[in-house]
Amino acid sequence: MSEKKKYQFHELYLKKEWSYQTGAVLLALFSLALVIVTGKSWGVTGPLGMWGGWILSKLGIAVDTWAGFKATPVASYDIWKDLPALTNIGIVVGALLAVLLAAQFKIKKLKSIKNLWAAILGGLLMGIGARISLGCNIGAFFTALPAFSLHGWIFWISIFSGAAVGSKLLVKYFM
Amino acid sequence: MSDTTITIKRSTPKETPEQRARKRLIQFIASGVVLVLYILLAAFVQTKNPQGAFILLIGLGFGYILQRSRFCFTASMRDPVLTGSTSLTKAVIIALAISSVGYMALQMKATGLSLEKLGTDALKSVTQLPGHVRDAGVHTVLGGFLFGIGAVIAGGCASGTFMRMGEGFVQQWIVFIFFIIGSVIGMAVLPAIKSVPFLYQATPVYLPKLLGGWIPAIIFQFGMLFILYIIADIYGKKKSGEL
Amino acid sequence: MAEKTLDCLGEACPVPLVKTQKAMESMAVGDVLIVNIDHSCAMKNIPDWARSVGHVVEIEEVAEGEWNIIIQKMK
Repeated sequence: MSEKKKYQFHELYLKKEWSYQTGAVLLALFSLALVIVTGKSWGVTGPLGMWGGWILSKLGIAVDTWAGFKATPVASYDIWKDLPALTNIGIVVGALLAVLLAAQFKIKKLKSIKNLWAAILGGLLMGIGARISLGCNIGAFFTALPAFSLHGWIFWISIFSGAAVGSKLLVKYFM
Repeated sequence: MSDTTITIKRSTPKETPEQRARKRLIQFIASGVVLVLYILLAAFVQTKNPQGAFILLIGLGFGYILQRSRFCFTASMRDPVLTGSTSLTKAVIIALAISSVGYMALQMKATGLSLEKLGTDALKSVTQLPGHVRDAGVHTVLGGFLFGIGAVIAGGCASGTFMRMGEGFVQQWIVFIFFIIGSVIGMAVLPAIKSVPFLYQATPVYLPKLLGGWIPAIIFQFGMLFILYIIADIYGKKKSGEL
Repeated sequence: MAEKTLDCLGEACPVPLVKTQKAMESMAVGDVLIVNIDHSCAMKNIPDWARSVGHVVEIEEVAEGEWNIIIQKMK
């Protein structure tokens, strides 16, 4: 009996998925807590370019001389002071904790070579797209649209149309 | 749905109850180890950045919330077209509305109720406001379009990629590597795009300023979100045959 | 009453859902489709979709983090 009770506790508090609405409300509140306390808003993709630049600079490529790195040179980049870098680490570990507590962690291998191509192409397109539009679905949308910025609305419409095209490509070539 | 004829529970479980209990215990212990390591990291970051531990805590919350509720921004924009489901789209709109209320309060404090502080020494540019008010233009459309294609093909947007890396998806670790490469390419080509006036408009458009005050901006923002919610609701019901 | 199994282990969203929708189209009313998944999102969006269309859905956890979604076509 006690065994059963323990499982119910596990099921209810650690495993059972929350509704999308619960997720929505909590995400909004956490995102607001972040900006209220730190004065800076949540973003995700900004650090990725800096990390890439850092790796290149370690390989001996002087990225700081590139025009694109002029405003934010790698030489003065400090990951521990970069808010999105820290929240990104948090997202990975938070999701890991959630699956471990639900006892659902498992390394999910690639199923086919198509998944590899999808990952390569998708990653490249997201990286390029995010830098051109100055943000991703968080920085140019989730903390831009609610901040009464027009580019958040434009970005939303654009992602929507991109996603429609992406769906067609996915069904046709990556399934 | 009570007159079901389905015969369920036929497939043999892959794990015995004992194996399951063991897995639970192992993963529970592992979660404790992860948590301790994370706290140590937070303590270290705190020495470098006075807000570090707090930011890491919020980040951890983001990851936990995203995973636990299976929240996915990509799906919210993909599913209406691909599967006809709008439940995530509606959830995103709710999140946007709540965030809007918060940002409205923060920004009103910064701009003043009739935007009188905007343009003064204290607040020279709208880009200094809380939240991301950034250049809007053709580049936004172009970037968003590429990003949308990429997110659907990769099986996750920016936050979704990080969340699934934590969940143990090998595919998302590969996405992560190429996301970095793509970001560097993007940073490298951005100055070239910025130099083409047609492609890049260096104009941050702030809705309260554009529409002439807080009241029309609030009506636009919440009105649009409300209308979109209704459309998503009707569309979703139509697609599933409820209407 | 036919029965079909769809192996979607290791596949990420939205692939399992799209494959499920396709498979359901080719099936007759009363047929049962069993979808094997280990993607936590698919575990939510496949049942959501199937229920919204009006099929009967059962979720079975065959192992921690691995599910069989059993869908019976109702219309």
